[in-house]
Amino acid sequence: MVKTITTPELNIDQLLDKPWVTIVWDDPVNLMSYVTHVFIKLFGFSKEKAHELMMQVHKQGRAVVSSGSREEMERDVQSLHEHGLWATLQRDDKI
Amino acid sequence: MSSFEKVGDSFSLDLTLDEAQILINLTEQLLELLGEGDFFHHYDNSDPLAQLLSMPAEIVTPEDPVLLRLLPNAYSDPEAASDFRRYTEPQLRGSKQRNLRLMREELTILVDEGHGGVIENIDSGIWLKGLNDLRIALSVRLEMNEESFDKFELMPDDEPAKSVHAVYFWLGWLQENLLESLA
Repeated sequence: MVKTITTPELNIDQLLDKPWVTIVWDDPVNLMSYVTHVFIKLFGFSKEKAHELMMQVHKQGRAVVSSGSREEMERDVQSLHEHGLWATLQRDDKI
Repeated sequence: MSSFEKVGDSFSLDLTLDEAQILINLTEQLLELLGEGDFFHHYDNSDPLAQLLSMPAEIVTPEDPVLLRLLPNAYSDPEAASDFRRYTEPQLRGSKQRNLRLMREELTILVDEGHGGVIENIDSGIWLKGLNDLRIALSVRLEMNEESFDKFELMPDDEPAKSVHAVYFWLGWLQENLLESLA
């Protein structure tokens, strides 16, 4: 399971080690309940966390769902694509 | 109305013959679009020898918008996207084909017998992904967006796109029903 950066107290070493993020983009097709289900299934999020991220995708058009090494993010993107979600990975531009 | 029911660890789905025919029709069309070969492979895909010949030098970004949505670019940078696609697209395509093939096998029994009935021992993971891919495919063909629902509602009943939209809507209902049965 992949950890998500949600806390501000991450140190710089962790950030340098985890400079890639997986982004899920909004689309007019996927059911909100299905997106929440996939987030719980793939990332082990609580129902609340998964729902919150799904709403972020829905309202803001995108959400970062995981962060880590490039290889880890490529695996996450592939799994999301297998589930029909529209996902991409990129370097974390917050660094 | 068709619906899923949780039975122990698996699910059953009660379908009329018409519904089973709609589902098998869409499933087969999407399998064809995904390039399903009509022959049985005798080699194991995980065999390193198989990779020697079956790994193409380049896999191009799909031109068909349905395929592009089902097999999307993982990077905004075209070079990185194409590199990633080369190594991962066969697996992604294969996973979607497997889901659809399994659904098709289960639907075939009903359709061949020529009547509606209950499909037992449904794997919810496979059906959720398969139904979702069918919905995505239809939505791209229907050029769906946030305002589409009203557009199709107001459309005259004899417009062919209106009945396609009804099928799309029904698939969404079915998927939602399976998600609710999971809870």
